[in-house]
Amino acid sequence: MAFENEEKKLHDALVSCKVPDIAKAVEEAHAAGMSATAIIDCLGNSMSEVGVLFERGKLFLPHVLSAANGMKKAMDDLGPELAAGGETGEAKAAVVMGTVEGDVHDIGKSICSTMLQCAGFEVHDLGRDVPKGNFINEVQNGCSFCGMSALMTTTMTVQKDVIEMLKEAGLRDKVTVMVGGAPVTQAYADKIGADIYGESASETTRKAKELVA
Amino acid sequence: MAVPHYMASGMGGIRTAGDLVARIEYDKNLKVDKAKEYVAKKLGLDSLEIADEYIMRELREELKIGTVTAVPGVPRGIAAKMNIEKLLDIKINSCEKFRGMLN
Amino acid sequence: MTEYYTRMGDGKRVSMTKEQIMADLQAGTADAADMGEIPALSSAEMEQLFEIIADKNRIVGVEPGHEVVLTYDIGQLDFTGDNGNSGNGVDMGRLESALLHERALGADTFELAHADYSIKPVKPIIANEMQTMEEIQNEIVAPYFYGAMPNMGLYYAPDGPYGNPADLLREFKMEESMASSEAASEHLARDIEYVSTRIIQAGADGFNFDTTASAGDADFVGTLKGVEALRKACPDAYINVGMAGESVMGIHGGMEYDGKIVAGMYPHQQVKVAEKAGADVFGPVCNTNTSKSLAWNLARSVTFIKECVKVASIPCHVNMGMGVGGIPMCETAPIDAVTRCNKAMVEIAHVDGI
Repeated sequence: MAFENEEKKLHDALVSCKVPDIAKAVEEAHAAGMSATAIIDCLGNSMSEVGVLFERGKLFLPHVLSAANGMKKAMDDLGPELAAGGETGEAKAAVVMGTVEGDVHDIGKSICSTMLQCAGFEVHDLGRDVPKGNFINEVQNGCSFCGMSALMTTTMTVQKDVIEMLKEAGLRDKVTVMVGGAPVTQAYADKIGADIYGESASETTRKAKELVA
Repeated sequence: MAVPHYMASGMGGIRTAGDLVARIEYDKNLKVDKAKEYVAKKLGLDSLEIADEYIMRELREELKIGTVTAVPGVPRGIAAKMNIEKLLDIKINSCEKFRGMLN
Repeated sequence: MTEYYTRMGDGKRVSMTKEQIMADLQAGTADAADMGEIPALSSAEMEQLFEIIADKNRIVGVEPGHEVVLTYDIGQLDFTGDNGNSGNGVDMGRLESALLHERALGADTFELAHADYSIKPVKPIIANEMQTMEEIQNEIVAPYFYGAMPNMGLYYAPDGPYGNPADLLREFKMEESMASSEAASEHLARDIEYVSTRIIQAGADGFNFDTTASAGDADFVGTLKGVEALRKACPDAYINVGMAGESVMGIHGGMEYDGKIVAGMYPHQQVKVAEKAGADVFGPVCNTNTSKSLAWNLARSVTFIKECVKVASIPCHVNMGMGVGGIPMCETAPIDAVTRCNKAMVEIAHVDGI
């Protein structure tokens, strides 16, 4: 396989989560003739592994961000070639994320936002206790994914309310709705008509990536 | 959730000697088997008998350490806990505070 | 081929063959063994788990003589709370609830709790809590704790004075994020000392730190330091440290306790630092995956908890509520699943309490 050695080095550097190592591996791969697009694809695949390692307690959030920072730097460095090859370097899609109104649990949603950002999405994180209408506004303004977290059985019903509001506003077909949070299950996601249920942050990110691939 | 857990494996609290075993786990950091042995020895019973409602109902009333049914005149609360202190050879915080309030 | 009724992690009833159940048991224990770098269950233990799961009786239980201590968290809120904390919505006083648990529900211990169930909001109303503690201690016989979650999320903006570390990380402000976690952790430790020592002064038997590390590694370190301070001030207090999840999330990543990085710790590692801080009893947790079967979740949970109990020098009371300890993530957790998980934890993981 062409560039097998370079791909391994890129993978190892990204999983090491060290920005200088990532930059060095990118430079060497590029010098060896690997295309900018192939380099970024390789880093992107390795980034998914970083997400899984985080969830398994083998890497921590600063590591994930450091890896993402290394990847961002690679995209900046390879920008001209990516643009020449038709790659715009633009985000995969814009995602509005938030914990629904009445619920102040923030951490799971924040980790999911981080994973999505690391995967190349433009994340509009509205925080927690987000009024229903704010999700609708973001979708109206161009977000094609709407991610809602709820950690309580009393607040998970708000996810359904927002889906109904999207329907009423004629926006439901324009947006992929993602739901998650401790009490939320696949069965509940199906019942309220969500498109993606994420058992974890990395599963949500993987499913979102599959839809924009 | 409480009832199924109690039915499946719970000692039974003051229906039996569950509260006493719990105190010893916390007071002496003993694991459950050792804590049960400690309590059983103090009660003159074995580890099976201290979770037996039939045996413990009468014994608790006799020892004045609190009963699950409302028996008028039988100690409960601080009075029962003071008797538990003597029985298990431990100090109980609320009893210490109570004693501290007396002249 | 014979099929057995069992459950999914969300509580839904399914039927599975022995081969399917055994395959899920194998996969569940392998997942825990891989994540925690701990031994998987033996073939004999998995066969024992299968027998428990496949039992035709609706309710299963341990053999007489093998009973364990049953402790309760969340205090009176299991009666008075709304469904957000699986409460029954039955309004009643805290004394009535405590005595009902002691005299009708087989509780070996019980606790007093604030409606928010977090340390921080208790601080300004501590005198009220102390008064109620004194009143209930006069009536109750069973060990009576004060219970609350460290819940360090309340120390971050907009609820608290420190920046949200996850938000700062997304802006690549690594050092600022870590500094925020460290400051919040110190603040939490101070509040724990303030609240817990005062409630012990009011006669509480002890303090139950529930859902520890819910905000990650800094939350865990702050709690352990708070436990240390409580142990120093009140050497005889009963201290229970219960966790939020099977793994400590690394939001900071570098915070240490007793020279060890706590992020990424699994139950068998968590218990050792809890012991060091001064806990009397540790409450390990393993989270339920709602998309997997009861067999997968229970094998995974038992694998984690068994190793924790094995290495612990103090008793371990496994968390077994909605969505933890193999129990389905379901508000009205099915009795068949609850009792199966209970029996497995006692007979295979050898827990000291539930």
